[in-house]
Amino acid sequence: MTLATDFRPRHSRLYRLRRAYFASPLTGLVTLLSVAILAWLAWIVLDWTVLQATFDADANQAICAERAGACWSVIANRWRIILFGLYPLDEQWRAGVACAVVALVIVLSCLPLMWRFSRLALVWVLGTAVFYTLMRGGIFGLVPVNEQQWGGLPLTLFIFVATGILGMPLAIGLALMRRSELPVIARVSGWIIDTIRSLPLLAILFTCAIVLPFMLPGFLIGEKLYRVIFGAALFFAAYQAEIIRGGFQGIPRGQEEAAKALGLGYWQRMGKVVLPQAFRLALPATINQFVIAFMETSLVVVVGFMELLAASNTAFRTGEWRFAYIEVYVFISAIYFAFVFGLSRYGAWLEARMSAGQRKD
Amino acid sequence: MDLNTDAIAISDLHKYYGRFHALQGINLTIRKGEKVVVCGPSGSGKSTLIRCINQLEEHDAGDIRVFGTLLDDNVGSIDEIRREVGMVFQHFNLFPHMTVLENCTLAPTLVRKISRAEAEKTAMRFLEKVRIPDQAHKFPGQLSGGQQQRVAIARALCMQPHILLFDEPTSALDPEMIAEVLDVMVSLATEGMTMVCVTHEMGFARKVADRVIFMDKGEIVEEAPPEEFFSAPKNERSKLFLAQVLGH
Amino acid sequence: MDRASFWRSKTIRDGVLQAAFLAALIGLVLTAVLTARANLAAQGLTSGFDFLWKSTGWEMNFTLLHSERDDPYWYFLLLGLMNTLFMGTIGLAGASVIGLVVGLMRSGRNPAARLLGTLYIELFRNLPLIVQLFFWYALANALPNPRQAIEFAGAIISSRGIYVPGLTVTSGAVALAVAALLIGAALAIWIATARRFRRMERQRQRGAALMAFGLAALVAVIALVTGHDSTQPWTTFPAVDGLRVSGGFRIQPEFYCLAIAIMTYGGAYIGEIVRGGFKAVGRGQMEASRALGLSNWQVFTQVQMPLAFRAMLPILINQYVWLIKATTLGIAVGFSDFFMVIASSINHSGQTIEFISILVGGFLFINFSLAAILNRLNRAIALKGHQTGGAA
Repeated sequence: MTLATDFRPRHSRLYRLRRAYFASPLTGLVTLLSVAILAWLAWIVLDWTVLQATFDADANQAICAERAGACWSVIANRWRIILFGLYPLDEQWRAGVACAVVALVIVLSCLPLMWRFSRLALVWVLGTAVFYTLMRGGIFGLVPVNEQQWGGLPLTLFIFVATGILGMPLAIGLALMRRSELPVIARVSGWIIDTIRSLPLLAILFTCAIVLPFMLPGFLIGEKLYRVIFGAALFFAAYQAEIIRGGFQGIPRGQEEAAKALGLGYWQRMGKVVLPQAFRLALPATINQFVIAFMETSLVVVVGFMELLAASNTAFRTGEWRFAYIEVYVFISAIYFAFVFGLSRYGAWLEARMSAGQRKD
Repeated sequence: MDLNTDAIAISDLHKYYGRFHALQGINLTIRKGEKVVVCGPSGSGKSTLIRCINQLEEHDAGDIRVFGTLLDDNVGSIDEIRREVGMVFQHFNLFPHMTVLENCTLAPTLVRKISRAEAEKTAMRFLEKVRIPDQAHKFPGQLSGGQQQRVAIARALCMQPHILLFDEPTSALDPEMIAEVLDVMVSLATEGMTMVCVTHEMGFARKVADRVIFMDKGEIVEEAPPEEFFSAPKNERSKLFLAQVLGH
Repeated sequence: MDRASFWRSKTIRDGVLQAAFLAALIGLVLTAVLTARANLAAQGLTSGFDFLWKSTGWEMNFTLLHSERDDPYWYFLLLGLMNTLFMGTIGLAGASVIGLVVGLMRSGRNPAARLLGTLYIELFRNLPLIVQLFFWYALANALPNPRQAIEFAGAIISSRGIYVPGLTVTSGAVALAVAALLIGAALAIWIATARRFRRMERQRQRGAALMAFGLAALVAVIALVTGHDSTQPWTTFPAVDGLRVSGGFRIQPEFYCLAIAIMTYGGAYIGEIVRGGFKAVGRGQMEASRALGLSNWQVFTQVQMPLAFRAMLPILINQYVWLIKATTLGIAVGFSDFFMVIASSINHSGQTIEFISILVGGFLFINFSLAAILNRLNRAIALKGHQTGGAA
């Protein structure tokens, strides 16, 4: 192989730079505009959140007003309300621990090591039980705290986890029913799924919270929180059922036929052959659905719960912090963002890993 | 652009993909009306070479002149050359949302600013030439691979180019369809079109090529008339390649 | 037949299973209906839809047509449905425009623009819509009161809303004019893109499209002129008048905050769909069009855009349906959309079952008709035949 010794690169670094950013007047304009906007945004954010901000916990409106930036004092003063709502002050360590337990459950479920039905079920059921015991109290010497006093982040997480834990089995059931060989069951569960999917979640939550008590016999009414969770789970299940169905469609026909030919019964076929493959195919979409379900927990603010969003509304709407609404929203946005961004990045990483694995096959 | 000079004149052409030196100083001149077949093992840089001629790939050093026009940063020179140089791809690359006729009239009406009626007349003429006028109103997805490749040739011809580049036009086709495409290419060759074909169809090369160019590892290794190349290859690498391709 | 073989017959077992499933469902629905009836009867209310003609006794804060306190329920429901469709149209249109811009920025080669697009998408997609809505609403309420309102380009921006200059014409005439313009635009796009007109000469095709839109514009102008009250001047400008703003056209905070929230949030999602669509366009098709000598703009409009649009439409349909449903968030800030009218009606009248069925029916109608229209479009433009060698 001869290496060209007289090689003179036509493209200097400057040329490449010009090529990428200023190939034509239009791209040049786009570059200038984008850089200007980026720089402006970066400066505003830095200036407001750090440079001109007040970090003094004892500051009040007058002190904060002297500087043009954020008044983080509101967070220092109100973080307990934002994070824990009306949960009794002395017991808030329990709420904190409960949140940590849920975080642990979610992190554990993201580890491929845990991807066995039995392990996942164990972690989620155990985690929910620990969470509930901590929050509700009444045993082990813990002071009982009524569900109506729950609020802030633990309530958000509880609704999320309970929606998942109820919604997932429901979704599997609906998906299996929709692909049932029995025409009536397949048809009717198809209608149910499509109808729920075309309704807004807000309308379902409203119905469950406010209208359902009029339509249920007394012994079925139950606590409002659990009715709302049931509604959210139903909605989650309708979407998730379609995702699982997509997974079913990705499985080669031969798989189920082979299982039948081996003499496996319906539940063996589903449990050992079809569902594991369907879930594998549907994993990225499933994680996406969990992300959406987490964001949608904030809708319960409309039917009167003190979850994270509502708690932060109260944090600045009462008393002297009325002016500091942006700081409060930035604070809870950071919490939502950390969770949602982390989970969706994880989903994207998993998807890339899976498609790389498929290419190797 | 001067039609009386050499069709393509390439001197000391270099192309890098990152740190991979894909073309290592190519010198090549193709006269007007000449038919050149480029062959070589995969990864030898033959596709890259012809894709540099219409600047689907940007070269890093060296000169390319098409009918005397130098290809440089000037966007105008690239546009000018693309109008005069047609290309046929391995995977046809027809526009799936347009009918065969629309595929053929798109560039003439947009680039050459010919009226649609005129462009359709030309298109039908070339579709007849590639022997599929009856498929004019079908969509590419409704045709067989061989038919699609013939449409792709007609589409390139509709711009009435002076040079046609073929990038492995038959290697994505089923064996029974290769002949119908090669027939069209042979008849084009007999009409005096300047053609540069990257192909492994040695029968085609023997029949129509004025010159066979053998490339390996980014260089032109051997350059000879077909009789000479096939009967008495000089270079060890071309011998090995021929033995593999011709199967003896 | 003994018991064992009775249960072992597949036909019988299947029949019993399905019958039990149906019976359970019907039982559930019947229980709900009967309980609701009993509850209504206990409050001295009768079930049925007669109440639709009773007057509501409350007011809607945003209506497209004139309304009063004692308008009947059916009229309020209609106005609510109109508000939902109005908000949905504006939200979807805005979200699509934002999505197109952001998606193009993300698929382009300019790294600065790509970074900007990525920042936008990650920020707006990863925060709950309702949090964003509350934020915009808090921002809108923190605007100065009308006395210290900001004046900007003829508009007055205050916590009471944004007052913009407007025409003194009836709302019916405006609706007619807007409808005419929309139909005109749709007609022009159809003429410019539909296969039926592909064989016309380009200039004539362009002329015909322009003419269609021009005719529609003419109809719109005529509608506006006939809807104008000749005793008043043509235009009305907002002006600060003591503690309030007079004249002009008021855009309520509830309305524009919800619209902004839906547009920005939806824009982030649609941006990703648009990027996916462009990614799905085969490199081969782009190379072929460049080899034919098409300019960048022609490659974009003739090949890239049509193919990308076909790739994104199926996913876009789901996103649109989702966004239409998001208009129900209006209840969080007090924009009277269809759902908020239903919720208030249930509170005021107690007719639970009836309103819930209207709610379900309304959303099934909206979503199925939207999906049906878009699916029809999808079928009409779907690529014909087998696709081979597409993505290379």
